[in-house]
Amino acid sequence: MPKCTINGRSIEVKEGTTIMEAFYQQDASIAHYCYHPGLSIAGVCRLCIVDIEGNPRPQIACNTKIMEGMKITNQSAGIKEGVKWVLDFHLINHPLDCPICDQAGECGLQEQYMEYGKYSPEMAERKVKKRKVVDLGPTVVLDSERCILCARCTRFTEEVTKTEELGLFNRGDRTEVGCVEGKQLDNKYSLNTVDICPVGALTSKDFRFRQRVWYLKDADTICTGCSTGCNVKTYFNKEGFFRVKPVYNEKVNGHWMCDEGRDIYKFVNLEHRQLKASIRTGSETFETSAGDATKKFSSFLKQLKSSETAVVLTGQYTVEEYQALVKSLKKSAGHFFHWNQNEVTEKAFDGLLLRGDKNPNTAGLRQVLEENKVGSDWKELETGLKDKKIKTLIVAGPENKTVFLDLANKLTLFSQAENLVWLSAAKLDQAVSGPKNFWHIPLKTFVEKSGTFVNAKGLAQKFSKVTTVLSEALTLSDVAALLTGDEALMVAEAKSEIAEAKIPLLADLHKRPDQVELERRKKNEFLYKRGAL
Amino acid sequence: MSIVQNTGEKKNWYLPGILTGMGITMKHMLTNLMNRKKMPTLNYPEEKHEYGPRFKGNHVLTVKKDGTLRCTACMLCATNCPADCIKIVASESIDPEVEKFPIHYEIDILRCVFCGFCEEACPVDAIRLGPEWQTPGLNGANFNYDIEHLAHRPQLKGGILTHVDDKERHKAGI
Repeated sequence: MPKCTINGRSIEVKEGTTIMEAFYQQDASIAHYCYHPGLSIAGVCRLCIVDIEGNPRPQIACNTKIMEGMKITNQSAGIKEGVKWVLDFHLINHPLDCPICDQAGECGLQEQYMEYGKYSPEMAERKVKKRKVVDLGPTVVLDSERCILCARCTRFTEEVTKTEELGLFNRGDRTEVGCVEGKQLDNKYSLNTVDICPVGALTSKDFRFRQRVWYLKDADTICTGCSTGCNVKTYFNKEGFFRVKPVYNEKVNGHWMCDEGRDIYKFVNLEHRQLKASIRTGSETFETSAGDATKKFSSFLKQLKSSETAVVLTGQYTVEEYQALVKSLKKSAGHFFHWNQNEVTEKAFDGLLLRGDKNPNTAGLRQVLEENKVGSDWKELETGLKDKKIKTLIVAGPENKTVFLDLANKLTLFSQAENLVWLSAAKLDQAVSGPKNFWHIPLKTFVEKSGTFVNAKGLAQKFSKVTTVLSEALTLSDVAALLTGDEALMVAEAKSEIAEAKIPLLADLHKRPDQVELERRKKNEFLYKRGAL
Repeated sequence: MSIVQNTGEKKNWYLPGILTGMGITMKHMLTNLMNRKKMPTLNYPEEKHEYGPRFKGNHVLTVKKDGTLRCTACMLCATNCPADCIKIVASESIDPEVEKFPIHYEIDILRCVFCGFCEEACPVDAIRLGPEWQTPGLNGANFNYDIEHLAHRPQLKGGILTHVDDKERHKAGI
C-alpha cells in the first residue's frame, strides 16, 4: 500500500493505482480527455500532466503508477501554464462551430476551456480542413474537424465490442478517425462511442439537431429494454423525452448500454400513447377518463364468477404493481397467467449486456406469482378460452409494443373472451372486434412511476418517478385500488418481500455531492435562468 | 412617479391656479402658432416620425447571397429570449455546405418585448431588429411571424444580405 501526497494531502492507495485514479478518489480536479475509466490507457491527449517531486519533467497522470512517497501536484504554476498550452494545441484545428454542434453544452472541450483555457490564442496558421458529416453507419455521424484524436471510440470498438470497425488513419495533423475499409460502424453498442466522445465529432443520428442539450433535464431510471436492467439517464423537457444515456453501475452495466435500449424513450411520448380510455359495450363505443372506465368495470366485475375471470400479466410492470393487482384480484379472478412473449430466447445473452428476455421485470413477476401461490399454465388459458370456460380477461399488456412480436397473434387469442380489459399505455394498431365488451384503459409508463424491477440476475433495483407525461393515466396499483375500492392500495406501497427489503433508491446511488434535487430544479430553473440574464 | 404637493397659500384660492394653468396653455399655443416648424406633435398618419438607425423594430432574418437563410438554427436567440417568443425546429440540410438550418422559425410578435437580445446572441448575423414599427393587424391577423414573413416579406425587397459569409471566412482560414 504505497503512500503519496496529492496537492499536499497525504493518502494511501492500493498497489498499482495510477495517479489519475488517485485524483478521482480524492475528488481533486484534473484536466483530461483520453482517459476513460472503462477503457485502456492511451495517454494521447497529454492534458493530465502533473509535477512529481524529484522528476525534472511533468508526467501524465493517467499512465503513471503511484510509488511509495511520491509528492504529486497539478497546482504549480508550470503545470497550469502547460495545461493551457496543451489545450491550445488541441484547438489548433478545431472549428469553432459550437452553434451547430450537438455536443455544445455538454462538451468536454468547452468545459475544460472554461476552466483551464488560454483565452488569447496565438495560432496564426490556417486550420486543416477535414471531412464533415461523414456517415459512419446506421446510428452515428462523424465530423472529423471537431475530433481531437483522443482515441476513445477506437479503443471502445477494440476492447469492449471487439468489432474493430474504427481506426485512426493518416499522420500528423491530417490524422482522422474513420471506418476500416469495407466496414461500417454497425454493432449493437455503437452509440456508446457518441457518449464517450468528449467533443462533437461523433453524434447520434437519432438525437442529431432535435434539441439543444441545455433545454433538457435528466433523471435516473432503469432501462426497460431487456432484463439486464441497465441504469440509465433519461433526458426530457416539456415537449417529451429525447434520449437515453447509460449511468455507471458496477454491478449491472458498467459504463455502457446497448443501442436497443436507447429507443425506450420513444413509446413514452404522447404521440404513441393511448390518451383516453375507450369502452365498447355491445355496439356502443365511447371515450372516458381512465379512472371512470376502471370504476365502471369494477361494478361490472362484481357480477362475474371468479372461476370465469382471468388475469394476464406481462413482465413490463413493477413489483409493487404486481403485488397490488394480484392481492386485490385474488378473490375475483380465478386464474393468473404470465404472458412471456420470448420464452424461446429468454436465456439468450450476448456476453456483454443484451439479453433475450425483453422485459425488465420477468423475475419480479415470477416472484410475486409464487409468493401469492397463484399462476397457472398458459395452456389452460388457451383451452379455457376455446371451451368458453374463461369469459373475462384482464390483460396488463405491453407498454413497449416493439418487443412484443406476437402481439397481433395474442390479441386474436384474447379476443375469444366475452369481456376483455386491455390495460396498456400504448395505442393499439388493430381494432379489437372479437369480444362483446372491450375496455382499453391507459396506463402510466416506467418514467411516470416509482417502483422496483428485478433483473435477470435477481438484483432488485428501486427507481423513482421521473416526470408525468399523461396525468390521467393510471398505474396498475391505481387500477387495483379502483377495482377493489381499497384506497389504501393507492396511497401506501403494496407490501411485499422485495418492496420491504431495504434497497437504496437508484437516484441516491448516483447522486453527486453537489447535485440539486430534480423537483427543486424543475421549479426554479426558469427563475434561475431569468435571474442570470 | 412623484406627486408634487402644493403647500403654499395659493392652494386655498381657486382663480390663481386656473389662471396660471391657462397662461401656460396660451403661451404654448402662441409659440407654436408663431413657429410652426418647431411644433413637436405630428399629424399621424400623414406625417411619420423618423427613428434613428439603431431603432429596434420588427425582426428580419437575413439571407445569404444565394437567397437562402443565414440562420444555422443554433437556438441561441431562443435561449437568450426573455419573453420566450422564438420557436425553432432545426433540421439537416441536403446542401453539403450547410449542416443545420431551421425548417421552422416562428416569432410570436405579441409576446416579444423588442429587447434585441436575440440580435446580440446571434453568432452569424442571422437575425436583426429592423426599422419597421407599424404592424397593425385586424382581428384574427397572424402575429406569429414565420420564415416567409421574417425573411421574404415584400418590404424587404428580396431579403437583407448578411455580413457573415462562411465561404469568405473559410478562405481566411477560420
